[in-house]
Amino acid sequence: MKKSLVIAALLLACSITGWSQAKKPTIMVVPSDSFCERNGYVQQVNAMGASSTVADYSRAMKENSDIRTLVSAMGDFMAKNDFPIQSLEQELKRLQTEDAELAMMTGKSGGEINETPLERLRRSAKADIILDLDYEVHRVGPRKQVSFNLQAIDAYSSKLISGNTGVSSDASAPMTTLLEECVLSFKDNFLSDLQHYFDDLFANGREISVTLLCYDNCPIDFEEEFEVNGESYELAEIIEAWMADNTVEGRFSTQAKSANRIRFNQVRIPLYARNMNGRDVAIDAEAFVRPLVRMLKKKPYSLVVGSSPRGLGDVWITIGDK
Amino acid sequence: MDILNRNNMKRVSLIALTLLLSISAVTLNAQNNRDRKKSFQSWDNYEITTEKVGVDGTKFVKVWGFAKNVDAAVMQAKKNAVHACIFRGLPGSETAMATPAICPNPNTLEANNDYFQNFFAAGGPWLAYVNMTTDGVPSGTDRRQVKGGYKVGIYVQVMYDNLKRKLEADGIARKLSSGF
Repeated sequence: MKKSLVIAALLLACSITGWSQAKKPTIMVVPSDSFCERNGYVQQVNAMGASSTVADYSRAMKENSDIRTLVSAMGDFMAKNDFPIQSLEQELKRLQTEDAELAMMTGKSGGEINETPLERLRRSAKADIILDLDYEVHRVGPRKQVSFNLQAIDAYSSKLISGNTGVSSDASAPMTTLLEECVLSFKDNFLSDLQHYFDDLFANGREISVTLLCYDNCPIDFEEEFEVNGESYELAEIIEAWMADNTVEGRFSTQAKSANRIRFNQVRIPLYARNMNGRDVAIDAEAFVRPLVRMLKKKPYSLVVGSSPRGLGDVWITIGDK
Repeated sequence: MDILNRNNMKRVSLIALTLLLSISAVTLNAQNNRDRKKSFQSWDNYEITTEKVGVDGTKFVKVWGFAKNVDAAVMQAKKNAVHACIFRGLPGSETAMATPAICPNPNTLEANNDYFQNFFAAGGPWLAYVNMTTDGVPSGTDRRQVKGGYKVGIYVQVMYDNLKRKLEADGIARKLSSGF
């Protein structure tokens, strides 16, 4: 009887551990800017009088079948590793459909869906890990050779997770064969680097960025002083102390600090935290700052505070307005 | 009489010196033999090169093995190829990038000694992850008679992805998606 109780307790513990799964980062293959520029997949953008070119991913995916081959080959091996990648092409299509549907959507009483310009801007294709892909075809006499460059980049910290460069064999084989050879060549090295990145994530926490901004209608700024334990501290100092208490081993860097803006980067947050029902759940940047937001709403600060996530690893906190 | 004694002394010293030199040469030779034997016995003593990018999920390598006869050396070479994929990783070549080890942690072998003893046993599970691509017994420069046996080089196709899945399923290697 005692033995069966122990086994039951162990099974329960295992299942509880099983529920606590960290949030899975999304991965997307994106053609590099230099590839788009070289092949003319760019569009002119006029922003406040200044003209610039930006990559036209939609055209690149539609018109270049080689990119599709590479994405398919990479998608295949990632899916085999239980890590399906997001399709940039499908995501762009989804956004287009979403735009059209939102424009047409009206309620029964004639109401329209609210969307601020910022919300519209943020409704773009994005992933937590970007696989920046570039390749070039070289002619070696009658033969072809493909040189490739694949970088895996953490979208929030802009840190390089994996860099792979190399060349295929020179052959008169079809381009598809050479491109697949490239993918097979870097596949295991890339997966190993990704594994290393995830191991670091589990050991030291997720790396995020937190930005605090001050609206102009806010009665105070980050230099305002408040009394804590009988001592007077600037709000910025109080927030820094909160960060030190809540990050993994107090790891974070204050990248910028001024009266109206504070930015923390290299913030290492735990993968799990207790939710309001006392249950351990996986958290992201927004869930991590929720206690800070609640603290700033309470006395003695009594601020109007809003938080808006910019993906799994980046969050903006605004004071003075939401 | 004095001259005779002096000559005897010289002869004795010469014999002693010759003996001393011979003993140290024998000891040095024995030491070299022991070192060589030890290095041949060490599992880390093998050469492996990536020949080209293998078809999906496989690695195409040239690997060397040493044993008393050719058949045993071929078997050892196959085993070395699987060993390299698990613990050492495969070096890159002109057209193929290096392949990292499936278990890069240096303590994996020690921590799972029983598992690997069974895995690499004669006729053990390791055999399912290797295909020999050289037809017949290696010849020419790929078959060298060395002191104590043969050193042979063979071309081998390792079922790298299958091997990785097996080690992941057995809890030896970590899955990419584990924890998520």
